Amino acid sequence: MKKSLLIFLLGIFSAFTTFAQETIVKGSVLDGTTGEPIPGVTITIEGTSIVTTTNSNGEFQFETIVPLGEQVLKIESTDYVTKRYPIVVNEGQTVDISGMTLDYDSSDKKDLFIISISDDNLNSEDDGLTDNVSGLLQSSRDVFLNAAAFDFSATFFRPRGLDNANGKVLINGVEMNKQFNGRPQWGNWGGINDLQRNQEFTMGMSANDYTFGDLAGTNNIIMRASKYREGGRVSYASANRSYTGRVMASYNSGVLEGGWAFSVLASRRYGDEGFVDGTLYDSNSIVAVVEKQLGDKHSLNFTSIYAQNRRGRSTAITEEVYNLKGREYNPFWGEQNGEIRNSRIREINEPILMLNHYWEITPKVRLNTNIAYQFGEIANSRIDNNGSRLDAINDGQYGGARNPTPEYYQNLPSYHLDDPNPTAYDYQLAYIAQQEFINDGQLDWNTLYGANAINGYSVYALQSDVIEDKQLSFNSILDADLADNIRLNANFSYRTLNSQNYARIDDLLGGSGYLDIDAFAEQQAGQQSVGQAQSDIRNPNRIVTEGDRYKYNYDINSDVASGFAQFQFKYDKIDFYVGANISQTTYQRDGKYENGFFKDPNPALGETGFLDGFGDITSYGESEKLEFSNYGVKAGFTYKITGKHLIDVNGSYFTKAPSIRNSFGNARQSNQIVLGLESETIQSFDASYIYRSPTVKARLTGFYSGFQDGTDIGFFFTENSSNFVQEVQTNIDRRHIGAELGIEAQVTPTIKLKAAASIGQYTFTNNPDLYYTAADFSTIRTLPLNGIPTEVAQKTVLTYGDGTTALKDLHVSGGPERAFQIGFEYRDPDFWNIGVTSNFFSHAYVDASALKRSASFTQDVDLLPTLPGVNGGVDIPNNGNFSGYTFNDYDEEVAKELLKQEQFDSYMLVNVIGGKSWKVGDYFVGFFATINNVFNQEYRTGGFEQSRRVDYRSQIEEQNNDGGPVFGNRYFFGNGTTYYLNVYLRF
Amino acid sequence: MKTINLNKIILLTLSLVVFSACVQDDDFDTPNLSFGEPNIPASQIRTMGSLAGDLAQAQDNFGEIDYEDESTVVSYTFNDNDEYITGYVISSDEAGNFFEELIIQDNFENPTVGIKVLIDVNPLFTKYEVGRKVYIKVSGLSVGITNGVLSIGVLNGTEVDKIPSGSETNFILRSNDVETIVPLPLTISSFSSDKTNMMVGLADAQFNRNEVINNSLTYAAEGSDEFDGERTLESCTSSATVVFSTSTFSDFRGLLLPSGRGSINAILTKDFFGEVFNLSINTPEDINFDDEAMRCDPIEISCGLAAAAGPNNLFEDDFEGQSVNSLISGNGWTNFIEAGTEGWEAYTAGGTNASQGVSARVGSFGSGDSSSVAWLITPQIDLDTNPGATLQFETSNSFSDSSTMDVLFSNDWDGTEAGISTATWGILSDAYVTDDDDFFGSWFESGIVDLSCATGQIHIAFKYVGSGVAEFDGTYELDFVSIDAQ
Repeated sequence: MKKSLLIFLLGIFSAFTTFAQETIVKGSVLDGTTGEPIPGVTITIEGTSIVTTTNSNGEFQFETIVPLGEQVLKIESTDYVTKRYPIVVNEGQTVDISGMTLDYDSSDKKDLFIISISDDNLNSEDDGLTDNVSGLLQSSRDVFLNAAAFDFSATFFRPRGLDNANGKVLINGVEMNKQFNGRPQWGNWGGINDLQRNQEFTMGMSANDYTFGDLAGTNNIIMRASKYREGGRVSYASANRSYTGRVMASYNSGVLEGGWAFSVLASRRYGDEGFVDGTLYDSNSIVAVVEKQLGDKHSLNFTSIYAQNRRGRSTAITEEVYNLKGREYNPFWGEQNGEIRNSRIREINEPILMLNHYWEITPKVRLNTNIAYQFGEIANSRIDNNGSRLDAINDGQYGGARNPTPEYYQNLPSYHLDDPNPTAYDYQLAYIAQQEFINDGQLDWNTLYGANAINGYSVYALQSDVIEDKQLSFNSILDADLADNIRLNANFSYRTLNSQNYARIDDLLGGSGYLDIDAFAEQQAGQQSVGQAQSDIRNPNRIVTEGDRYKYNYDINSDVASGFAQFQFKYDKIDFYVGANISQTTYQRDGKYENGFFKDPNPALGETGFLDGFGDITSYGESEKLEFSNYGVKAGFTYKITGKHLIDVNGSYFTKAPSIRNSFGNARQSNQIVLGLESETIQSFDASYIYRSPTVKARLTGFYSGFQDGTDIGFFFTENSSNFVQEVQTNIDRRHIGAELGIEAQVTPTIKLKAAASIGQYTFTNNPDLYYTAADFSTIRTLPLNGIPTEVAQKTVLTYGDGTTALKDLHVSGGPERAFQIGFEYRDPDFWNIGVTSNFFSHAYVDASALKRSASFTQDVDLLPTLPGVNGGVDIPNNGNFSGYTFNDYDEEVAKELLKQEQFDSYMLVNVIGGKSWKVGDYFVGFFATINNVFNQEYRTGGFEQSRRVDYRSQIEEQNNDGGPVFGNRYFFGNGTTYYLNVYLRF
Repeated sequence: MKTINLNKIILLTLSLVVFSACVQDDDFDTPNLSFGEPNIPASQIRTMGSLAGDLAQAQDNFGEIDYEDESTVVSYTFNDNDEYITGYVISSDEAGNFFEELIIQDNFENPTVGIKVLIDVNPLFTKYEVGRKVYIKVSGLSVGITNGVLSIGVLNGTEVDKIPSGSETNFILRSNDVETIVPLPLTISSFSSDKTNMMVGLADAQFNRNEVINNSLTYAAEGSDEFDGERTLESCTSSATVVFSTSTFSDFRGLLLPSGRGSINAILTKDFFGEVFNLSINTPEDINFDDEAMRCDPIEISCGLAAAAGPNNLFEDDFEGQSVNSLISGNGWTNFIEAGTEGWEAYTAGGTNASQGVSARVGSFGSGDSSSVAWLITPQIDLDTNPGATLQFETSNSFSDSSTMDVLFSNDWDGTEAGISTATWGILSDAYVTDDDDFFGSWFESGIVDLSCATGQIHIAFKYVGSGVAEFDGTYELDFVSIDAQ
């Protein structure tokens, strides 16, 4: 730092001490640690389009005429921290700023994200509540986004309220977001940080060289062997958040004789448990990248990534459980043979192979063509407690057990106190339950094994829900400088996906086999074993064993073709761009099982595979092919008032095909397509004022995003219809507005102060449409069978009241809507640094139950006349619409209170970060450490309302329970004080 | 020229290996599930029967348990030498027909007493399968009558209630001894309260024809089934019947009842109100009925009900002419006591349980009979010469319990008392006869029972079957018997 300060001063004085006729700006750039010259550094004169790069000796000189007066040089290079140098250019003089240094961007900071990202991803049940976009932001150098990525991410803070599915992650220009849910699967490239330092982040919808992008931004990770700096690195990290240890080693050859370059990496992350109990971590990653330059114009790169990841999961818990067991509690594990065994393991095995061709057609036109193939599976395990046995003589099936989770509601004190007037006995039960839960409260594996052993079949089994994908992607990206100030980017891409979805028996837990029947299916008189309970009527009463598929089995086939074009214009005063894309998306389900609830139609009975008001009622074979045509346009400009003051404006309008997950109403059992399914329409607009001086950088942005016709599907058990239901919301409109601010001041060469703030409001703007389906929801319709009007039980969807849910003006859940940071960094010239930030969060909201805010809330099931023998115990009015049976004691004022959306308490988190490095001979050694949440603040990062007992009367009962609600809100809790320490050796 | 430094790569590889750490993988061995036999000194083991004795003593009921007394409870306190009972599990919640109760009997064969262990645990079959010997720690628990049967659990106020789930292992210990339960052979008429909570075997039984022949009912999935589906199981060796009860939460609720005839093993228990014997099975595998052709159904006349009776009266009796408190006689009646001491007699009564002037009644309450069978038979009616014949009568009951009164007919009875037992008697199934669920003070019309689809000469009989045992000692009342024709 001393040196750079010296050079900084020299740079200014040199302007006065050089004698020459021409006005020349030149210099050289060195590595701040090694003193070696750095080639390929981009030098820009800010506020102009004047750019040059350093040569192999790290030297540069501007070829074009440099404007006179005070200017700021921006010096940037991948792997290095960008610097800005003020200079004064006088006519006819030479400015020589040789010996500028760039500090190696240790990037160890980036490791932090990988931890928090994988944490978040891990808990995510695709509910959109817990995912995190910080992974997108890690390469951003924006002050605000840095705060969001480093310090806000632990709280599930989302910049502009946008989630993962609103951002794009590319590797070498190939989109990595999953078609299934639109989200990147971070685990697919976890633990390979050393080879992911080259990242290009584009904020929001602003111009991107590769793709149309999305609202939360686009991050392209460049993994080309020729782009890595020669050398190797070994590091070891210790932490107590998710993994406890990580070792990583990588080596990059640089470009060798003959144009070859290669990079290899191997890493391992491990831990028996993270901050939350029982969350094991077991992950190995290997990467190999090879590139061969073919002549001057072509280069061929091959990248292969295999990041295998096995994690023990945890879950959101209720207030009651939190009070008894604390935030580290995890109900998913129990001891087996003295070892901790977690029943919910997520295992990711999806290697990526890609071949990239880079072609410099002319110095101004570049074409990049990629083929990528990804295959493998994601498996999520859990205990299947539904094992039964067949009584072939009586055609019966017996067995099935209660959910063995220790936090099952009947094991908790609140359950015993749900009587309005609990007796002494109730309190005794509650007390004993409480003591039992406090003293044990973990899964009892031995009981599961014991049950299987004495009954001879698997009452319990360990299963996985598996998604086995094969995806082939192809794209071609054109980058052409049409003129000095006009640039064209275009992209054509196509990808085809075959996704096999099924349940698999992983462990019979000592049992001999599992009867592939739904033991909870409502029996039809006299025909259990061949009836609805069958997973596959074509193979009834199958006994499955370890490794077998069972329960459900279907493929989703998807094709996406898209085209994108964008023009970027750069002028002295203004830069602007326009872009557009079009795409075509198709999805088709292909059922491999004929489910007992969704049998093939019998034409002899006049049945078809289609029902009015319900859709496809078959399960076997191909569904209707869904097709979505989408388009988007965007434009924006940056107006440079002066070099210091800029105005940046972006706007976009586009439509987005729904994800696979949100397209099929009940994919595990049927071909039914979501009723009223449409592409989502999105508009966004943001305007920023940007200030930058040599010592101060600041950005203030106002933003607006509007979403229409969104879709969301949920699955849960509810007592309102005594059923496991699929909840389908369509026509969801929401609006995200707010402002964000980032400011950074280099007060002295060693001390930097920074502040960031975001204030937003993310709300629903309408009452979305809402309907429910369940395998045995049926209603009576009169149909002309053979010309005779006949009453027939038919499948139906269930709606409440006017078929909407009153979400209007409620908040879209997901992280705090307000976040503030102040912090400082001290960077000592002796190669050590320390930083402290204080972060304040508020206005986070619980995810509101749609069922609770539908007319279901006011409807008294007991008032509904029973329709005997038809609905299998589920009372559904004849038209499938439940209304007109309002509770006779319904009180609007009381209801208002019950329906309030919970807002979480605000909190403050203090984080400390620091590090030091040394040069030892040819080696560089350093360490880097953080302590997060120094004051061990307890806080909630998110949560959701359970939809199990949400009618008016039940809610009153729940609120009045002495022991707290039985089905209260579930919360995700933030980590307490945690540390992360990384030591490395670089050569 | 750049070269690859092999040494460095080797160093890297080595460091990875060195740093590598193990995390428990997916392959868990099956845990060792064996456990030691509970080590309880014989001196601390009591017999199940002695608990029953304690209760009887507390009830102060002449050394016998009063199964209707649900308010007396015997509590056993903890002490230094906790006391235990042992028993063999006979109930299973595998198919969901039992819920949060474990029924055990004192031996796997020839049991003398059974008890219901109330416990707030579900499922139980995963640990306590049928035949498993268990130790129940009595100290800290209470014994009493719940739902009409002997039960053990914790004290809730003044009644016995479920043992909290958290205390399960404190009060129930498993033995390694697992035996095959040998059902206790019984007939329906020999059911008694002290045989409840036992696995009993009925040798020759079937479901009533209205549930499996004329209709095809499920175990417990009819629209009218609430909590339990109650069906009628009848003996083929006597006219005795018993309620066969299945939970609407059972896995087999939707299965059809077996229509044949044969043996059944079931747990003898009582209904929710503790009043009526019930049989309940663990799974339909406990029923071993063969095909329909072997059934022991009575012949029957079932022409439905007529809109109106004809003008031509063939026989009637309002019993006003009978002498009160004497057996019914005259007017063509045959009054025959086949077994026991009780027969149809004339009576009058006022108040809530009033007669209709003089009425007829029969009942074995207080008789001391081990079996009471009484017949009241009309004169012969010629259906061939009297088209459009109908039968009407009224019945009332006074705590009929499990005693029965059937309306029968015969084409071949010779008119002698000796011939009654050898004649073929069929039933008039359309006639409504009051049952135990009806209010005892009311009289119920039989309906205008149409006889027009039958032919020949018939006698109509009102047959009572009961005994002096409390559950079978009910009383039936009869009046306004009238047979008419066009």
